[in-house]
Amino acid sequence: PVERKKQSNIISEEEAAQYDRQIRLWGLDAQKRLRGSRVLLVGLRGLGAEVAKNLILAGVKGLTLLDHEQVTEESRRAQFLIPVDADGQNQAQASLERAQLLNPMVEVKADTDAVGSKPDDFFFQFDAVCLTRCSKDLMVRVDQLCASRNIKVFCGDVFGYHGYMFSDLGQEHHYVEEKPKVVKGSNEANDGPEAKKPKVDPNETTMVKKTVSFCSFKAALEVDWTNEKAKNNLKRIPVDYFLLQVLLKFRTDKGRDPQPDSFAEDSQLLLQIRDDVLETMGLSSELLPNTFVSYCFSEMAPVCAVVGGVLGQELVKALSQRDAPHRNFFFFDGLKGSGVVDYFGSK
Amino acid sequence: MAKLVGPLRKELADSLSSCRVLVVGAGGIGCELLKNLVLTGFKNIEVIDLDTIDVSNLNRQFLFQKKHVGKSKAQVAKESVLRFCPSANITAYHDSIMNPDYNVEFFRNFQLVMNALDNRAARNHVNRMCLAADIPLIESGTAGYLGQVTVIKKGQTECYECQPKPTQKTFPGCTIRNTPSEPIHCIVWAKYLFNQLFGEEDADQEVSPDTADPEAAWNPADAAARATASNKDGDIKRVSTKEWARSTGYDPVKLFNKVQLFKDDIMYLLTMDKLWKKRKAPLPLDWTEIHHLESSQEEACGTGLKDQQVLGVQGYAQLFHHSVETLRSQLIEKGEGAELVWDKDDPPAMDFVTAAANLRMNVFSMNMKSRFDVKSMAGNIIPAIATTNAVIAGLIVLEALKTLNSEFDQCRTIFLNKQPNPRKKLLVPCALDPPNPSCYVCASKPEVTVKLNVHKTIVQALQDKRFKSGLETNNNKFLSDFGIRNGSRLQVDDFLQDYTLLVNLIHSEELEKDVEFEVVGDAPDKAPTPSVPEEGKNIANGNKDSAQPSTSSKAAAEDDDVLIVDSDEEPSSSTMEASPESSNRKRKHHGTDTDDAASKRKRLDQQPADDDEDIIALD
Repeated sequence: PVERKKQSNIISEEEAAQYDRQIRLWGLDAQKRLRGSRVLLVGLRGLGAEVAKNLILAGVKGLTLLDHEQVTEESRRAQFLIPVDADGQNQAQASLERAQLLNPMVEVKADTDAVGSKPDDFFFQFDAVCLTRCSKDLMVRVDQLCASRNIKVFCGDVFGYHGYMFSDLGQEHHYVEEKPKVVKGSNEANDGPEAKKPKVDPNETTMVKKTVSFCSFKAALEVDWTNEKAKNNLKRIPVDYFLLQVLLKFRTDKGRDPQPDSFAEDSQLLLQIRDDVLETMGLSSELLPNTFVSYCFSEMAPVCAVVGGVLGQELVKALSQRDAPHRNFFFFDGLKGSGVVDYFGSK
Repeated sequence: MAKLVGPLRKELADSLSSCRVLVVGAGGIGCELLKNLVLTGFKNIEVIDLDTIDVSNLNRQFLFQKKHVGKSKAQVAKESVLRFCPSANITAYHDSIMNPDYNVEFFRNFQLVMNALDNRAARNHVNRMCLAADIPLIESGTAGYLGQVTVIKKGQTECYECQPKPTQKTFPGCTIRNTPSEPIHCIVWAKYLFNQLFGEEDADQEVSPDTADPEAAWNPADAAARATASNKDGDIKRVSTKEWARSTGYDPVKLFNKVQLFKDDIMYLLTMDKLWKKRKAPLPLDWTEIHHLESSQEEACGTGLKDQQVLGVQGYAQLFHHSVETLRSQLIEKGEGAELVWDKDDPPAMDFVTAAANLRMNVFSMNMKSRFDVKSMAGNIIPAIATTNAVIAGLIVLEALKTLNSEFDQCRTIFLNKQPNPRKKLLVPCALDPPNPSCYVCASKPEVTVKLNVHKTIVQALQDKRFKSGLETNNNKFLSDFGIRNGSRLQVDDFLQDYTLLVNLIHSEELEKDVEFEVVGDAPDKAPTPSVPEEGKNIANGNKDSAQPSTSSKAAAEDDDVLIVDSDEEPSSSTMEASPESSNRKRKHHGTDTDDAASKRKRLDQQPADDDEDIIALD
């Protein structure tokens, strides 16, 4: 946003009571920053609904739900905000009421436009933007637009049992971390009168300021794998990164994600895209074994919950400027139960 | 390729709609879990929770709204879920899972049980019920940013009680009564004081100076002398705190000055001069003197939470005065013989503890604490957020899908960290451990059935055992000489009786030539070798926001530091171990690893050597 919004300094009793358990975790200052933040959330399917819930419960100032798609039986079953009789309505609109009820203190709005049709300055009113179900090009564009203006950018998707989150918090993201105060140990045996000093509470902490930088989504996806160094590191790279590339290409080519109704056809296409993508990167197809196709259809609700939880918390951290952000990808494999944070792009 | 129903293979999707699951707890994890279960396709769900909704739940228990405060969590959770999934078949119980109505038969109705609890007692209970019913259990816990999920399956994995869990932190009586050095000591003291004055008096919650403090004595005789002296001095000290308070009409000033608190008792403590040789001595407070102090201008509340302000001594003296008067009225209202129960959410009770604790901190030269901080410590509040619970509840369902397919080899314990570990993992899956064979909860005595000829097998042949009589002359006697016959059962205790094996004997005269005995059926498995955890952070028990003191003075202390002893309090106040440094996933290294059935079998073939094993005939 153009100017840093002034924090409202008064926390009401109602807020203090409701947010008590989280204020005790991340502190009052963080809560105030959250309370001054406006967020744009694009895409209200399984993952989107989870992120919406998490942000609304956290107590942001405003959340705009943006989705141009209509509710179908499938999309309604994927999330818990849309009422049963809402088939045919706009997804964002249908989610609005229940989302608002999660926390009346947050301004929740619905926007039925397609994100691709929004002018640049639409995004500038927000402190953070979270993109789900967007094409790679769209994510690249929005990221480029926002990051330079200190608008925090997040992308995330769930494909079957797999999910990812990406963040670009800009060239200079400032945050604080709470560290225990270093207490010099007293040496009772040796001390004379000094021993009678008041004792410092061992639980006292201090806030340490830090800064970290992030690269663009474009740079993160366009890593060069052909050089020797990259090839040597390949073993330590989560395979999910390549899976993501394949799925984003599928999305671009087909204009949708793999669907259970077209399982046979989509599986074939996925394997082919895998071959193409890896070949373009100068890598072997064996990096991503065929079995992957069985597990990347639709959205698994529990995977949405996990990825939505991590993504939601990263948004909270970025907006409150507290605690080290994950840098810059989080990959979750629901089959293995493993969740990995890794950095891709220019360091 | 498999047919899919949504993201799942058809067979899995079908089994989801027919199976019945039980969710124990409808709080932070419970709400997220119920949502995940129905969205994944589970149809038949029963949920139980004894609690009602509180406003402090609303930051994460998203199935509840403000209008639901005071209502049953299980009931409202069910209603909220039905709103987005009307076809789900949900039964809600506003009840405690420890109610005997929920017996083994009840548990047997389910294919899977999932805990979403916050206290150890309930977890222990459900663990045992699931073992008894032989139903898989998914256990989980969260605190702050950290969380954990694991799967418990009888006979295949560790149960909840296979590994010892850390116990509640408690403090020695003399620390509380004589030599507090940290705010928590003063807070515990203040809670004891509340009970002594207004609540149920407890002999373990004494607040007056402890004359028997071993540290106070220059020599043992001195300590004894003091103790006797104080008893003789008697009348004042022997009158119970509550009686005394009543006799003065709970006069706050008298309370403050005279007996208990901040003047007279402190003056008494000062006479125990050895305590203060190496510690800063306490400074008594006098009521009238306090009010002559310049009152420091307290900052306008403005930017912070009201509760986060730290007042001055005068402020806390006022608060003390005010809260005593309010509590006195409460007592009077309740009538003769009434008692109050301390509750962190009862404002005068919380005020009282805040004031009393801070005044004591001041006396002992500690920096005073805000009501906000005192409430955390006094009420055992564990900070909690929605996202941690969301992640853990997602993991629970993923594990649930594996258990329904009986894919226990795929199941994992998964830890959620705050930051990725050196191997970049934020979520760390670890293989499940096999059951602890010495677990007093889940281990059954291992048995083996052996076929031999009791008339022809001599005692010595059976692993060169000696009878307990120790007479070596027995070695060449036949088993039948001792009355051992078909169907006899022998108990073999190994080494330090760390491992016990029951041997069932079947008499047979039809063994093959040269075969002394034959093992029938399966021999018990080897005692498992412990595996090394990838990362250890045991979110042991969770912690219910509790009104109970987290401390007791029961522990006898050698020194003044914190002791960990077994807690005697209600289940609701168990703590959780969250520090990265303390890995509570200690692997118990079984001393008897090598003394398993397989090696026993081996020894059965060998000639007698020295041994430490005894046979005891059971019948």
